[in-house]
Amino acid sequence: MGLLDCSSVYRKFSGQCTQCGHCTPACSSLEAAGMTLGDIARAMLAAERGTETREQVAMNIVMNPQLVQAVRGCFFCTSCKNTCFAHNDVCDLVYHARVDFQNLGLIEREAWSSVLVDQEWDIFTAYRAIHGIGYTDLTRHVETEDHAAETGFDVAFFPGCSLAAYGPELTREIFGAFEELGVSATMVDSCCGSSLKSAGFFNRAEALCARNVDEIVQSGAKQLVCVCPGCANDMGKALASKGADVQVVSLAKFLGDRGFEPKKPLPEGQICISKSCQDRDGSYLEQTCELLGLDPETPTIFHGCCGAGGAVSAFQPDRQAQQADEKLSFAPDGATVVTMCPTCTYTYAYRMMGAPRDISNKHYTELLFESQFDWGTVFYQLGSMWSGEYGPWLAEVFA
Amino acid sequence: MTLDSRAAGVAIIGYGTAGVNAAIALRDGGYEGTIRVFSDTGTLPYSPILTSYYAGGEKAYEECFPWSVEELDELGLEVMESCPVEHLDPQAHVISTPKGDFPYEKCVIASGSSPALRGFPEVEGDPEYRPIMLRSMDDAQRLKDAIERPACKRFLVSGASMVALKTLEACLNHGLACTLVGVSPHVLDFNALPEAAERFEKGLREKGVNLRLGQKIDSVRRVADGLEVTFSSGEADVFDEISIAHGMMSNLGFLDEGALEIDRALIVDEFMRTSDPDVYAAGDVAQATELISGEKRIVGIWKNAAVQGACAGSAIAAELAGGQPDAAVAYKGSISSNTIAVNGTLFISAGAMEVTPQRQVEVQEDGEMTIVRIFEEQADGEERLVGFNIVCDADEPGGKAYDLGAMMSLRIEKACRR
Repeated sequence: MGLLDCSSVYRKFSGQCTQCGHCTPACSSLEAAGMTLGDIARAMLAAERGTETREQVAMNIVMNPQLVQAVRGCFFCTSCKNTCFAHNDVCDLVYHARVDFQNLGLIEREAWSSVLVDQEWDIFTAYRAIHGIGYTDLTRHVETEDHAAETGFDVAFFPGCSLAAYGPELTREIFGAFEELGVSATMVDSCCGSSLKSAGFFNRAEALCARNVDEIVQSGAKQLVCVCPGCANDMGKALASKGADVQVVSLAKFLGDRGFEPKKPLPEGQICISKSCQDRDGSYLEQTCELLGLDPETPTIFHGCCGAGGAVSAFQPDRQAQQADEKLSFAPDGATVVTMCPTCTYTYAYRMMGAPRDISNKHYTELLFESQFDWGTVFYQLGSMWSGEYGPWLAEVFA
Repeated sequence: MTLDSRAAGVAIIGYGTAGVNAAIALRDGGYEGTIRVFSDTGTLPYSPILTSYYAGGEKAYEECFPWSVEELDELGLEVMESCPVEHLDPQAHVISTPKGDFPYEKCVIASGSSPALRGFPEVEGDPEYRPIMLRSMDDAQRLKDAIERPACKRFLVSGASMVALKTLEACLNHGLACTLVGVSPHVLDFNALPEAAERFEKGLREKGVNLRLGQKIDSVRRVADGLEVTFSSGEADVFDEISIAHGMMSNLGFLDEGALEIDRALIVDEFMRTSDPDVYAAGDVAQATELISGEKRIVGIWKNAAVQGACAGSAIAAELAGGQPDAAVAYKGSISSNTIAVNGTLFISAGAMEVTPQRQVEVQEDGEMTIVRIFEEQADGEERLVGFNIVCDADEPGGKAYDLGAMMSLRIEKACRR
């Protein structure tokens, strides 16, 4: 074992990069760094070369601001991967570089202390606890004071952290649809761990997903219904790696296959779809459009991240806003932007709070159900909880 | 197996991406013994993809070598430079070269492929003349020298493949008057359907390229002011230089007939093992699983060479450690995929291009791009995407065309793997 924990990943990646340079202009961070993906792998190996201590390796990395930019500035949007002739896996590369950054103490604690989603308290669970949001009645496979652990469910519902925290009524209404359709369901009230991976805790993210898998298998569910394509990807990999006989299906496909009809008509005016970068093969996009009855020619913004990915906002706060602006620029005034991932919806809402636009920002589930996100209240509550009676506790927990 | 061969370690024939990735995987797999690499050049491993970039002035010479001296040194290889393999005897476990015979315990054939000269006639009045064929860095240097020569104004490219088009781009970058001649009715012959190729050709014509499609070179004659080429149409024109891209041939001349199972290249299993359990093959010399057909085919792209080389290296490391290769390192198969941009006109393709009675072609064309999708009817009546072309007029890295390309490639692969 060398001084870096992930040297073999860099060597492997370096071996698969042609150094053609096409990835660089596909990404604002790579462009700012003046690097290719292969350069990241090589620079990590170069930082280790000729050193005797981990401190020296850390110093070599710090002394290479282009490398720091390329690793910390990655949204994991895969625009570079899509442009790469070889479709080399940037996520695998940068996640592992983040692991080494984390292990070398190169990611400041405030960038991740509130998103350790494998701990009892993170920003989502704290928000829910402070504002009385709980789902013990829906997590039926888990024993609580009110009910014993049940099993033999048709499906396990995985809303993901943003929806469960910031859209409790919407979450419950979606869950209610399973019952309306005669499907027995339980809810897995957990996280896919993407924020852990962004912070360089790759193994912890995988361990969290593995725990989720155990829970799902224990529930007896044969299908895992995911709202967000990112959760679906991570949980799909975890289920496959543990050999679990559980099929991951998007909420839109699940509902569509069972004849679900949206609870209300589509909004008036132009609709624009914001494709999630996690939905790389576009299947979520297609299934959602089909369920909503949208024309396949509906304007769609394909590439790039909403700005929330990769915890870039903790490294370069301005780039989150720039990215959101860029993605939203395709939507004309008066349009409704429909997102696939609740975190994209959150990010656009947050951006438009600071830079208002005449755009309606909706998660696709808001077009299917009556309940809506109330972003004004969410942002107020998120901000005020730090200064209210729970402020000192939060400051201590996330210190 | 003799004690001598045990001491011989692993031989890798070829010092390109497949060979280097085999070496990387061997070391990552814990193999600490001898890795002897036979290279027919005296240079570091280069990227064939970058040769046209170098010739066209988009990359410096030193940028065409993906691995640094330090990175390669760390692998602890015994590199036999300028040492072409003359004979491989799988039974005796011996490799013969001009520098002597070398035993091996396991061997990876990663000798790549070379451009074919077929279809190019002898030049009347200059029988020694050889057209430029782009593969190695020496070839790239020759192309660069030719197109940078002030007297070189008129350039003929023969062939309609990716290599031909990248050669064309290098010439266009230097402001040369370019003609492309190809036997096929369209460019990108094995990779594009006519609707997509036509749009790409439109882009080439707009850049001033004279396309002579459905024609071939009948004869070439050295004349006072260059090379006079007579085409199969009966027309003739004079050029200062000629480049041909008439296909590739796997470099397997060092094998006796019947020594290993060969079709167009070496037939390999999921761990890149040939018919001899101690000989592996990767890259352009290997016929491995192609996902759409389910057949063993050569899919000669960089990524495949890298992945196959790594697979072979991992499998050998496991076997030499006394175990069996893990299924996790097995080669999972691939689909053909290509991306090329010539002076801004972008072409992306993946999957199957053969149109059969079971397949339907759907063309979507607008001002922005042309998308051709090929669907195949499955036994259950469902239609499955098996191939596509995208052509657009502006090459915007990270843009919609690349996203659509990635989306469709993933769908094809996912469906195959299911």
